[in-house]
Amino acid sequence: MLLNMGPQHPSTHGVFRMVLWVDGEKIVDVEPHIGYLHRGSEKLCEGEQYHQVITLFDRLDYVANFNNELVYCQAVEKLMGLDVPERAEYIRVILCELNRIASHLLYVGTIGLDAGAMTPTMFAFRGRERIQALFEAVSGARMMHNYFRIGGVKEDLPGNFEQMMGELLPLLREDVEESDRILTFNEIFLSRLKDVGTISAEDAVDFGFTGPCLRGCGIEYDVRRAQPYSIYDRFDFDIPVGLDGDCWDRHWVRVQEMYESLKIVDQALEQMPAGEVVSSLGRRLIRPPAGEVYVRAENPRGEIGVHLISNGTDRPYRLKIRPPSFCNLSAIKHLLRNSWIADSVVILGSLDIVLGEVDR
Amino acid sequence: MLNSVKGMMLTLASTFTGLRKPVTRQYPTVPTPVQPRFMGFPALTWDDGVGEPYCTGCMVCIRNCPTQCMSASMMDNPLNEEGKSSRRKIVDYFEINLNRCILCGICVEVCNFDAIVMSHEHEMSTYQRNGDRVDLPALLDIGKKYQVNTAWIPPTVLAKAKKEAEDAAKAAAAAEASSGETAAAGQEAT
Amino acid sequence: MVVSLPLMSVTVLQVLWMVVALLLMFTGLSVVVLSLVWLERKALGRLQLRLGPTRTGPMGLMQPIADAVKLILKEDIIPNSSDRAIFWAAPVIVVLSAFMIWVTIPASEGLVLRNLELGLLYITAFAVMGILGLVLAGWGSANKYGVLGGLRSAAQLISYEIPVIMVVVAAGMLAGSLDLRVIVASQDQIPYALILPLGMVVFFIAGLAEVGRTPFDIYHAESEVVGGPFVEYSGAHWSVFFLAEYINTFAIAALVALLFLGGWSWPWDTVALAWLPSLPAWPWLGPLLSVVWFLFKVYAVILVVFWIRGTFPRLRIDQLMAFAWKAMVPLSFYSIVITAVYLYYDWPGWTLTLMSLAGLGIVGYIVYRRMTAPARRVAEVKARQAAQLAERRASSQAG
Repeated sequence: MLLNMGPQHPSTHGVFRMVLWVDGEKIVDVEPHIGYLHRGSEKLCEGEQYHQVITLFDRLDYVANFNNELVYCQAVEKLMGLDVPERAEYIRVILCELNRIASHLLYVGTIGLDAGAMTPTMFAFRGRERIQALFEAVSGARMMHNYFRIGGVKEDLPGNFEQMMGELLPLLREDVEESDRILTFNEIFLSRLKDVGTISAEDAVDFGFTGPCLRGCGIEYDVRRAQPYSIYDRFDFDIPVGLDGDCWDRHWVRVQEMYESLKIVDQALEQMPAGEVVSSLGRRLIRPPAGEVYVRAENPRGEIGVHLISNGTDRPYRLKIRPPSFCNLSAIKHLLRNSWIADSVVILGSLDIVLGEVDR
Repeated sequence: MLNSVKGMMLTLASTFTGLRKPVTRQYPTVPTPVQPRFMGFPALTWDDGVGEPYCTGCMVCIRNCPTQCMSASMMDNPLNEEGKSSRRKIVDYFEINLNRCILCGICVEVCNFDAIVMSHEHEMSTYQRNGDRVDLPALLDIGKKYQVNTAWIPPTVLAKAKKEAEDAAKAAAAAEASSGETAAAGQEAT
Repeated sequence: MVVSLPLMSVTVLQVLWMVVALLLMFTGLSVVVLSLVWLERKALGRLQLRLGPTRTGPMGLMQPIADAVKLILKEDIIPNSSDRAIFWAAPVIVVLSAFMIWVTIPASEGLVLRNLELGLLYITAFAVMGILGLVLAGWGSANKYGVLGGLRSAAQLISYEIPVIMVVVAAGMLAGSLDLRVIVASQDQIPYALILPLGMVVFFIAGLAEVGRTPFDIYHAESEVVGGPFVEYSGAHWSVFFLAEYINTFAIAALVALLFLGGWSWPWDTVALAWLPSLPAWPWLGPLLSVVWFLFKVYAVILVVFWIRGTFPRLRIDQLMAFAWKAMVPLSFYSIVITAVYLYYDWPGWTLTLMSLAGLGIVGYIVYRRMTAPARRVAEVKARQAAQLAERRASSQAG
C-alpha cells in the first residue's frame, strides 16, 4: 500500500512529505519529498545588503536563531578580518547556548508528542518560554531577534541581565531535569526508541551526519571542540556521545547536551568582561573585500556551514548554506526501511529536522 | 516500572498548585506585559516641542528595509518657513504595510532623526488582507502612544548625554591626574 | 389483526416505563460524558501545568456544552469516495454497543435498567460489537489512515478482549455468579481487589486497551495514523464516536469498581449498618448514599486513567500485541487457575492474594526486565563517558 505521509501530517515536523510503501504496518520503501517550505533564502541573500542578510538567517532554522546569526556574522567578519569585542563574544556565546537549550527542549517536547506523550511538551515548553522571555528582554523579539551584528551585537545587555540570569538558570536546570525525568528512562519510551532507527558510525559519516545525530553513533565530533570558533576554547564542557546510534541515543545525547550548555553559560557569565559590544566598524556600510570564505559552527542540529563569496559590493555575490538538518535528513530512506509505521514518526523526530532549514 | 512511577509522581505533583504553579496566562483578559526592548510594529515619533513629526522623509529606512514594506515622500516644511522648526524638509506621506514588516528593527537603527521606533503595539490583526497598511496619522498615533507609555527620550539625545557624561568623567579624571601629577601626565591626558 | 405473542403480557405501562427508563439512561449517560469531558480536560491541564478550560462558565464548567454545540453545528463532511451506507452505520454501531452495555450495569442495588442473571456475559458480548463499528468506520471512509486505524483497532481490541473476559470469569467464579449485583453483594466484607489484585490489574490494563486509552491508543494515534478510523469524520458524526469512547471509558471504570472495588457495597455497608438504623426517618438516604459512593469510586478510577494518559507515551503495535499475548493472556489464565485452586481446596483468602501477587510480581518483573534491557546498556554508555572524560582530563593535565 502506498501511504502518503505529509505534508499535512501532525508529526512530519512542518511540511515534509514522505511517500511510504507499506506492507501492513511495515515500511518497505520510502521516498522523501522536500521543498514545501522553499523560500529561496540563498538567492534572497544575494539581493540583500550584508546587514539585512541577518534577518534571513533568523528564519533558516527558526528554533535556533542566534546560532544561525552567529555563523553568518562570523563569515562576514572573517572575510573582513574584523575583530569582535570580548564582551560581544561572551554575549553571543551565552545567547547561543541558551538557544541550544531552547531548541533541545523543543526537541524533547516533539519527540514526546511523536511517541504519544503529551505532557513532556508542556514541561519542555515552560523552560523554552522562560528562555524566550529572556531573549525578548535582550533583543526585543522572542524568535526573530536580528540581534547579532557584523562585528558585535546590536546593543549591550539590559541592566538587569545578571539578575534575570540568576533567576533563570536554576529554574531552567529544573525544567531540563524534569523533561529528562518524565521521558528519558520511561520504560515505554525506551522500548519505543531503543534499537529503532539504528545507523552505524560509518554510515552516519557517509551520509554527512553532524551534531547530536552523529554523536549518538559514538563519534565524538563537535565543531565547538574540533575547530573552536568564537571563544569556545575557553570553556570546559564535555561532549556526550551515544553507543548504538539509535533514536534513544540521539535523544540521550541531546538531553546531556542541555546540561553541558548550562555549564558553558555558567562559565561564560563568570568570565564576562565589561566593555564595548560593537566593533569600531560602527554604522558604516559593510563592504567586504572580494574573496570567499567558508565558516562552520555547531548548531543544535549539527554543523552549519556558510560559504560566502563577495565581489566587493555591498551585497553577497553568492551565499551557500550547508544546513545540518538537510544532511541528517538525507539518511531517512536508509533509516526507515524495514521499520514500522509508528517508528517512522519517532525516527523523523529523533533526527530533529527543521524544515525552514531543509528547504531554505 | 520504576521510572514510569517516577514520571507519574511528577505529573501528579503538577496537579497541586502548591507544589508546582500552573504557567497559564489568561492572555486576552489579562494582558501579558512586554519587555522594555520589545520590538512591536514600527511607528513614527512626534516632536512635541515643535508639534510635528521627527521624520523628514529622508528615505533611509525605506532603502534599508529588507522587505520593502514602507514608502514615503518628503515636502518643504511649512513650519520651517515660519521659523518655528529647524527641519527644512518634513515627511509628507508615509505608509507601512505592517503585514509585510518582519519587525527586524533595522529601520530604527539606520534612522538619523530619531523618527521611527519599534512600538509595543502587537495586537493589530485585521480581517482584510491589506488591513494593516497604516498611513502617517495612524503611525504617529501609535508612536505617540509609545512615547507616552515609555517616557521616550530620543536616542540621539540619550547618546549625547551619555557621551557628555563620559567626557565629563574623563575630564574629571584627567584633572585629578594633572592636579597631583607632573605636567607631562596632564599633557598625556589632554 | 391481533398479534398474540407472549409479549402481549407486557402491558402498555411497562412499555412506557421502558421507554422512559431508556431515555433517562441516555440523558444520564450524556451528562456523565459531559462531566468526563470537562474532567479530562481539567485533569490533563493540571497534570501539564496548565489550567484547563477557564473561559466558559465558572472553572470552565460549560466547556463540554460549548464543545457539543460546536460539534453539532459544524458542517458534517462526507467524503465523495466513501461508502455512504457504511460511513453512516459505523458511528451508530459504535455508540449503540456502548449504550447497550449500560442496560445492565447497576449503579446501586435498585438503580439498574434491567438486571440480567448473565449480566457479565452480556456486557462482554456487546463490548466486542464496537470493534465492528471501528473497522467499518475505517473502511467506509475510504482513507488509508482510516483503514490502518481500523485494522489496528481490530487486532488490538480482539487481543485484549481475551484477558478481559478471562478475568471477568475469575471474578464470577469467586462470586459464584455472573450477576453484577450478586458480585457486589459478595464483596461487602472484602473487595476482590484485595483477594485477587492480579485480576484487577489485568482488567484495568486490558480495559485501557479496550477503550483505546494511552498508552494503548494506537488505533487512533494522533501522531501516526492521525485519528485512525475517525480521520474523515467531522461534526455530529465525530461527536458520536466521541460519546461512545467516553461511555466505554466510564463503563470500564464502572466495571473495575463493581468487580474489584466492591461497587456501592464495600466498605459503605459495614459503616452504614453501624449507624444507619439510627436514621429511620429517611429510608431513601441509604440507596442515595450508595449511588454517590459508587460514583465516587468510578470517578476515582477514571482519574487514574487520565493520570496515565497524562504521563505515558504510547506503545508500538507489535509491542502492544506482544504485551497482550505474552503477558496479559497468560496472566488472565493464571488468575483463573489460581481462583479455581483456591475455590476447590477452600483455602483461606490470603493464599489467593499471595498467589496472584506472586504471578503479578513474576510477570511484572519479566516485562520490566525486557523493557529496560536497553536501558541497562545506558549504564555502559555512562561508564564509557566517565572513562573518556577521566582520560581526557588526565591527558590535559599531563599536557
